[in-house]
Amino acid sequence: MEIVYVLINLVIFLALAPLFEGMVRKVTARVQSRMGPPLIQPYYDIIKLLGKENLTAGNVIFNFAPMMAFAAALSVVCFIPLGYKANFLTQYADVITIIYLLVLGGVAILLGALASKNTFAMVGASREMVTMIMVEPVLAMTFFVGAVKVKSLSIDSTVFSVMNNGFTWSAALMMVLYLMALQAFVGKQPFDIAEAEQEILEGPFVEYSGPNYALFKYSLMLKRMFYAALFVMVFVPFLHSGIYALDILLQLIGVAFVFLFIALIGSTNPRLRIDQAIRYYAVLIVMSLGAVGLSVYGI
Amino acid sequence: MFENLSKKLFGKSLWIYHCNTGACNGCDIEILNVLTPYYDVERFGMKLVASPRHADVMLLSGAVTRPTLPLVKKAYEALPSPKLVFGIGSCATGGGCWFDTYNVNGGAAGVVPVDYYIPGCPPRPESIIYGVALALGIVDKQVAPIEMKQMEFPIDVYERNKAWEERNVIYELLK
Amino acid sequence: MWLTSKIKQVLMVIKPGVVTLNYPYVKRPTPENFRGSPHWDHEKCIGCGGCANHCPARTILVRDLCQEIRQMVYDGSRCTYCGRCADVCPEDAITMTDKYELATDDRKDLNESMELFMLTCKRCGRCYDMETRNKIDRMDIQGYRYDNIEARAFIRKTTDRFDEDMLKSTENFKRPEKIGE
Repeated sequence: MEIVYVLINLVIFLALAPLFEGMVRKVTARVQSRMGPPLIQPYYDIIKLLGKENLTAGNVIFNFAPMMAFAAALSVVCFIPLGYKANFLTQYADVITIIYLLVLGGVAILLGALASKNTFAMVGASREMVTMIMVEPVLAMTFFVGAVKVKSLSIDSTVFSVMNNGFTWSAALMMVLYLMALQAFVGKQPFDIAEAEQEILEGPFVEYSGPNYALFKYSLMLKRMFYAALFVMVFVPFLHSGIYALDILLQLIGVAFVFLFIALIGSTNPRLRIDQAIRYYAVLIVMSLGAVGLSVYGI
Repeated sequence: MFENLSKKLFGKSLWIYHCNTGACNGCDIEILNVLTPYYDVERFGMKLVASPRHADVMLLSGAVTRPTLPLVKKAYEALPSPKLVFGIGSCATGGGCWFDTYNVNGGAAGVVPVDYYIPGCPPRPESIIYGVALALGIVDKQVAPIEMKQMEFPIDVYERNKAWEERNVIYELLK
Repeated sequence: MWLTSKIKQVLMVIKPGVVTLNYPYVKRPTPENFRGSPHWDHEKCIGCGGCANHCPARTILVRDLCQEIRQMVYDGSRCTYCGRCADVCPEDAITMTDKYELATDDRKDLNESMELFMLTCKRCGRCYDMETRNKIDRMDIQGYRYDNIEARAFIRKTTDRFDEDMLKSTENFKRPEKIGE
């Protein structure tokens, strides 16, 4: 029975991730006083990219990397308890697995970029590496704030720790820090140093065309929706009613609000240089360690 | 099945790669004007991308000069098919003022197969959007060749009229 | 990243709203002296060739088909819409219209050609000898004259008299065609 929950997770994420991406583009356009693309534009983009010719660099890793990135994003989606219902696979993984799979997606982008034999891709890959390194501690601390309190690393008790034990100071501090770090998780301005940087260099995806690029784009969209959904699941437990369908609907509305927030901040900020971003993140990492420390002492 | 869907949706999200082959930058500025909020071309789903491998449409501006000739061919081959090429400005449609100089190959037509030409020096952003809409099938073409041929010589017309008048003089006298 | 200035930035955008001109459906009128594509009035043109002389892109071409018919060809593929032809025309036969929607997929769509009847000399009809006697016609050969209009072939070298062999060699000229056609 609980296998159905896995399928529902997959279907909802696959179907709605481009819609939220379209919402981000539309809001960005409206902030810039112009009519933007229609809301379902990313669907058109992905279908069109899937129909183009696939020009490859010849080696196996080049074709394998987008599939690995897409698979990593999909497997993260399978594990999380959307709608406050732990599904069949949740018991087989813990928090470290989720962090590992997200890093695997980033490593897939790195592999693809380095297999391209292009200088621009190499520079993009090095920036992506730095971004990944600076982002992972904050993500890990988000989980550990709950894990330390319930003294276990399994996904459902960690994610539901705020819901079960109420808001503590450490959880509130972690929520603020997560919001401040959200832009780098999803890769929008001011932190889109690595991936969408087609304006400055061409990013790690220079040589990709057609279906490979469609897979990369889709995996990035899924990751973006995952981070927004994680915020709603962990830090906004007021939306919990007992009914599964209503839970999912309310969570999706919460995800839409988080995407609105991402779009507004993304369209009003410039892009930071890599050393400015690292300095900003160093402060965030130290404060998140402080939040974990507070939660150890039970505050 | 999926290929038909891709072909149908091809026109709804075209990604643009802009290639300047030795232009004076007038046409480039007009292309960038088209991406500003007033003449927003993103409402048709188009986006400017920086790598030719992601793009569907190549916008050529400038008369193709001798140093840029092999590079334009390489960039054209780097676009994955199906692809379109637009030649923007008078320099790309025929070489502009410099069509017979030593450095210019006579516009984009001899170098890559061009699908649509947008003449103008520089073309108004509206006419670039008109060219884009023409490629998408939203509007109809408005130019056609005009030829005015001499059907009869005016001398013959004059003499025929004269003959007719002289013929009618008798009827006038008889009235 | 000051939060208040970003919030003010978002609120500032609400006043103008969306400023996009929905172009193919809504058109903006052109400014007054706008130079679009040129258009000949065949009733006013006297066939002097002044426009052809001044065109910087050598887009306007003059050819005498016989003693009495002069053909003016406007090959629109290189026109820079500068307006010199309209400026110099003594009869104001060329106007720069305000058509800017000139996109096409075939360059031959932009051509305009016009045949004019030229009167012969009143005395004998033979004095206006083509090509050799007249200074204006000699300028024709050196400057802006196609001799093989259908093939768009230039005589690239200039001579001071009309050369039949050069005309024959233009028969082999092949205008570059689309690749794959």
